[in-house]
Amino acid sequence: MVRAKIRRSRRGKIPLAAVVLIGTPLGIAPAVAAPQTFNTALPVAEDQFVARGQFLYRKIGDDPTPAGATVNVLSGIAAMGYGVTADLAVFGILPYLDKTLKTMTPDGQHIARGSSGIGDFQIFERYTVYRRDAPGRTFRIAPFVGVKMPTGDDNKQDNLGILPMPLQTGTGSWDPFGGFVMTYQTLNYQFDAQAAYKINTAANNFAFGDEARLDASIQYRLYPRALGNGTPGFFYGVIETNLVHQGKNKTNGASDPNSGGTAFFVSPGVQYVTKRWILEAIVQVPVVQDLNGTALKDDFILRAGFRVNF
Amino acid sequence: MNIVLIASRNLTALILLFLILGTPLNSSLAAEKNTTYAFQADGLACPFCAYGIEKQVLKLKGVVAVNTDVASGKVVITVRKGATLDEAQVDDAVKRAGFTMRAFQKE
Repeated sequence: MVRAKIRRSRRGKIPLAAVVLIGTPLGIAPAVAAPQTFNTALPVAEDQFVARGQFLYRKIGDDPTPAGATVNVLSGIAAMGYGVTADLAVFGILPYLDKTLKTMTPDGQHIARGSSGIGDFQIFERYTVYRRDAPGRTFRIAPFVGVKMPTGDDNKQDNLGILPMPLQTGTGSWDPFGGFVMTYQTLNYQFDAQAAYKINTAANNFAFGDEARLDASIQYRLYPRALGNGTPGFFYGVIETNLVHQGKNKTNGASDPNSGGTAFFVSPGVQYVTKRWILEAIVQVPVVQDLNGTALKDDFILRAGFRVNF
Repeated sequence: MNIVLIASRNLTALILLFLILGTPLNSSLAAEKNTTYAFQADGLACPFCAYGIEKQVLKLKGVVAVNTDVASGKVVITVRKGATLDEAQVDDAVKRAGFTMRAFQKE
């Protein structure tokens, strides 16, 4: 679905810089219990499925130009994990995206452009290379590698022409990524950390800048304070951080000076974990955004969702 | 009145019959009680992970119930009468879940 609304009569050129956002800090957030904005090293048992649904709302703005551009992204993300063996798990992530840009053209027109539809499918595998178990605690390290496939639409148009790439639901490119994640979990708290890198390749003579990220998460059990018998639900308070750096986008091989940069998010959240399901919510708040040129900045990213074991 | 008297006598007879037969019946039930095993699951530290262990152990032949105590890491396996579990097969199931078994015993 594509939409374009012009609130004034005349069409004008839309500054591309106004819609060049930093990266896609949606993170790799598979289905296993733990962080909400990135991966974990916790196991998926052999022949076990873990499904996840997540709602995401991302608000972007703070445009330094007179255009006053804002972008809203609504997304429903479906993820599924499967334990091939106790150490090897495969994950698939498919988003549905709805993006809307509101801006003003140089000649004073207020316009809205956007699109919605299936985004790019990500598939990756994670293999546990180190595991140290003890009573009530575990420490694991797991590298992962995967690829983002061009399943989303990358050539949508509206009556103003083809949409800028950041407004498409897909990138049109095959983008490999990889990294490693470590998890230290006890009965009272859990710590996760991840380093990841994504190579964004070109499609339609356009390439997003490569993305490097460092993520960390601490979860602390707030309830029950004292554990009873059986398998009670755990209510966690969560703080996650994401340091995301993205290179400049390239169009026909030329770098866009108004794209890319570095952002640091601090994200408070909550999570309720039972044996079969999890409910969770988190708000990613940008505390540092050192972006290039006039690239738009994130206001916040809200995530809420569930996970189910079966 | 006679109907009440007859019903009362029949009820008394039924209670006596139950008491006479009841003792050996109860003993027989006790003899058929399911067997339980237990082990410690090292590495288990959250409820969501407990499901993987229970799913793998429940696949073992004869297992009718698995109960996990997350705080202690103790997992209790109930098997139907006549069925037995050996340590190796439970260890293998726990490994498939991604955890480490310790202190396997019959209870």
